[in-house]
Amino acid sequence: MIEIRDLTKKFGDFTAVDGLSFTIETGEFFGLLGPNGAGKTTTISMLSTVLLPSSGEIFIDGTRLTRAASEQKRKLAVITQEYSMRQDMTMDEVMEYQGRLYYLPKKEIKRRSSQLLEFAGLSEYHRRTVRHLSGGMKRKLMICRALLTEPEILLLDEPTAGMDALSRRQMWNLLRQVNDRNMTILLTTHYIEEAEALCDRVAMINRGRLQKLDTPSALIEELGRFTVDETGDGTLTSRHFSSREEAIRYLESAGTDASLRTTTLEDVFVECAGRKIT
Amino acid sequence: MGIITVLWEKWVEFRRDFYKITVAAMISPLMYLIIFGLGIRTTSHGQPYITFLVPGLVAMVTMTGSFGAIAQSMSVQRLYEKALDQVMVSPTPLWQFILGQVLGGSLRGLYAAAVILILTIPVRHGLIFSWLSVVIMILNGMVFATLALVLSFLAKTYSDAPRFNTYIIMPMSFLCNTFFSTEEMPDGFRQLIEIMPLSQASGMIRSISFGETPELMGIVILLAYLMILGAISVFFVYRKKNL
Repeated sequence: MIEIRDLTKKFGDFTAVDGLSFTIETGEFFGLLGPNGAGKTTTISMLSTVLLPSSGEIFIDGTRLTRAASEQKRKLAVITQEYSMRQDMTMDEVMEYQGRLYYLPKKEIKRRSSQLLEFAGLSEYHRRTVRHLSGGMKRKLMICRALLTEPEILLLDEPTAGMDALSRRQMWNLLRQVNDRNMTILLTTHYIEEAEALCDRVAMINRGRLQKLDTPSALIEELGRFTVDETGDGTLTSRHFSSREEAIRYLESAGTDASLRTTTLEDVFVECAGRKIT
Repeated sequence: MGIITVLWEKWVEFRRDFYKITVAAMISPLMYLIIFGLGIRTTSHGQPYITFLVPGLVAMVTMTGSFGAIAQSMSVQRLYEKALDQVMVSPTPLWQFILGQVLGGSLRGLYAAAVILILTIPVRHGLIFSWLSVVIMILNGMVFATLALVLSFLAKTYSDAPRFNTYIIMPMSFLCNTFFSTEEMPDGFRQLIEIMPLSQASGMIRSISFGETPELMGIVILLAYLMILGAISVFFVYRKKNL
């Protein structure tokens, strides 16, 4: 279980994360959703201890997470937004380095590494240096590296950023599989459909502050499952309704430039943050 | 043990770049040997200048080798590759990571010194290098590897690493008992230069190479530098807010 209590991070006068508090249960697939600059990466960086909070605390299974908390860190693995790897190492070396950092026996590193690289379709490139891999291959390698240590908690910072549609779907399937093994996952994303497809619960943050936290369906339900969009004078206005009948009644009374659709998480976010996500 | 992991990582780096590292370790000292030792033939303290120069160069390359191995690599890992994140989130204790880097850097300095000693074999300088010389080389390398760590944690951009080299390493190379004795320097400046770690290392290695007993206070001074810089780097890695 991850417990975040009143977490704040300031860079000079700028507050990137502002009093964030929430709890992620063991085995939960939790999404941190927000626009660029919302504070998602800063939150992940504090969870991975690269950044230390200005105030507030993080607890992993009841114990405070610090840079010296080796037992807590053993449970964690991070897939960062950037390709955070030694560029001059081969895939095998990247995996071995990770295994060694987590005190895995060499035989175990080799066994798991070859399984994971095979699973990710990277086996034939295992001697290739990271510098010479494509972006997609680097992303897959980062996932293999994170899974090598069989973490209890996986922190994913925009894992599908820049991926094509097919690779993104493959990634989603993989994440569902590891989550089914009771792995706790914290995913940051600014892709609404990703959060909707994967997450048990979603925390919406904007300008470092928590705006909403619930299951995707509950958040949509709360706003109203149906939306009527009206365009006029170059502006788009959306109205939300809890029943289809209500929405249709409004649609009939509205002008011709109006349409009915189901509400999405993005609508929820726009309502609470007043800012479009993507 | 995290130290072994870091040493393994340094070994991977060394094995991959063996030729580049070796050539880089040779070029400058070789130039100094040719120009000052063989080209401009002179004497120092009644002895051929090359006998003064070789111990100084050996101390100097333990400094440049160790500093270069860590400053460049750590700055790239922290600022460009973000590979330090992988270490930060891992259960490897960060003090072990620091110690591994310091030892790994020092071994690179020792390797550079070995290259110079091999290169100077044909000169038949008759100098003595004992186990104590090796201890001093390792210690000097550790001091500068730790300094490199501290500076790479302070670096804000990738281009800061070469700047540190220009501001710190190059002046030390020329001023700190490598090419000429500090005896003739003006008071005040002389004391300042003599307290520098490279001056101490050069002085001790030179004394041993002349068959004299070195001033062991130098080892105490090097240890003091190591402890202070080590404490700063441990403080940074555990307490620096934004790594």
